Amino acid sequence: MEVVAINQISPDQVILFSWWFVTISATLLYTWLVMGVLVIGSILITGNLSSDPIMTRWQSVLEVLVETIRSEIGDVVKDGVDTYFPFIGTLFLFILFSNLFTFIPGYVAPTSSLTTTSALAIMVFFAVPIYGISKQGILEYLKEYFRPTFIFFPFHVMGEFSRTLALAVRLFGNLMSHEKVIAILLAVTPLLFPVVMQVLGLLIGIIQAYIFAVLTIVYIASATQSHEEAEHKTKEPNSTNR
Amino acid sequence: MHIDWFVFFSQIVNFLILLFLLKKFLYGRIIGAIDARKAKIGALFAEAEQSRQDARTAAEDCERKRQDLEERYEQSLNEARREAETYRERLMEKAREEVDYLKVRWTEALRAERNNFLHELRQLAGRQIYAATRRVLKDLADLNLEERIVEVLLARIASMDENERNKFRGPAREGGTITVTCAFDIPTAAQARLNDTLHRYLSGDMDVTYVRSDDILSGCELRSDGHKISWSMKDYLDTIEERFYSALYEEAQEQRT
Repeated sequence: MEVVAINQISPDQVILFSWWFVTISATLLYTWLVMGVLVIGSILITGNLSSDPIMTRWQSVLEVLVETIRSEIGDVVKDGVDTYFPFIGTLFLFILFSNLFTFIPGYVAPTSSLTTTSALAIMVFFAVPIYGISKQGILEYLKEYFRPTFIFFPFHVMGEFSRTLALAVRLFGNLMSHEKVIAILLAVTPLLFPVVMQVLGLLIGIIQAYIFAVLTIVYIASATQSHEEAEHKTKEPNSTNR
Repeated sequence: MHIDWFVFFSQIVNFLILLFLLKKFLYGRIIGAIDARKAKIGALFAEAEQSRQDARTAAEDCERKRQDLEERYEQSLNEARREAETYRERLMEKAREEVDYLKVRWTEALRAERNNFLHELRQLAGRQIYAATRRVLKDLADLNLEERIVEVLLARIASMDENERNKFRGPAREGGTITVTCAFDIPTAAQARLNDTLHRYLSGDMDVTYVRSDDILSGCELRSDGHKISWSMKDYLDTIEERFYSALYEEAQEQRT
């Protein structure tokens, strides 16, 4: 596989295999790579879990990670943490590891593809009403769109779409722009400066994974809790948008 | 910047597969392990709390037993003290009684010794005075002491009033005897004079018996059925004994001080 060229705007452009409408691009390949690492790592580490107070270091790392995600979810939603945890945890881990692997030469984060981020955002788009309806019932959930008055219905619908779009574009924009900046800097100043930018890129990747996950929690929380509570707790963290 | 719809749906499927696999291999197991550990630690804490409670109960039990033992120890000690005090008082009382007994015995022994001493002194003094008087009378007046004593006795018989004589006559008339006891052997001549005198003043047919006895100090006595007349150095010797007793007492008082 060739390194993504400067003129290639997305890893979707790197086609590895194509047959009829089936096209295996670099995005899918790297997605599978991240999936494989996550799944195989999980199997290896959780193969001999210990319930004793003394445990292996890897188990300790995984437990800290899982407990941190659960506590983050628990800070936003009042109850049913374990209901949302697999979805939000998987989003966070997938985006996190996709972004962290950018230190591997030749690797391109799948999250720098608008297709991937759109797919993730669409899942959030559908997950929010699914969780909301399952929690409150369809009528109570739909009533939220007409609060405080029915005039707000179009704005609520527009909000749903716009925040989904914002989720997809925010993640894609940050990751894609960073990779392009790295690529340009490698061409212009191929010494130590790109390394510093690479480290910065890892930080950005972690922050973006966190933002995506937290926003998802907030959207789900706003849909599953009552209108007043949701208004009180849901605050769009615009300051984190870039 | 376009969206590849095949990749788009593939990513959705990929994500769902990843969600399923992570839920199966990661979240479930990790959360299960965490919950199991929490339960185990909770059980350990509960066990530790139970052990702590048991230990506290055992400690309280031990403390209660210790206090009981201490109280019993104090009680036993007090009883032992009381018994020891009682025993000591009993011993003291016994010792005091023994001392008193010994003191009484000693006093009695001392008194007996003193009496013996005074008795012996009386005997010795009587004999010495008798011997000395006898010699003095012999040397100065050529008189016999025994004869003078008999003379005195005869003079007393002669000087008895009728009432006194009747006291002696009664037993004599019933066939009794009159005993003349002297500290020395009465000479035959003196015996004859005594017989005459007695027959004359008391009764003519009465028997007269002469007995020598050292119990009568340098004297003579006439005795009949409980009645008697006598002369002896007893009065003089009593005076001497009294003087000696006073002198001994004063000496003892001085030594004590």
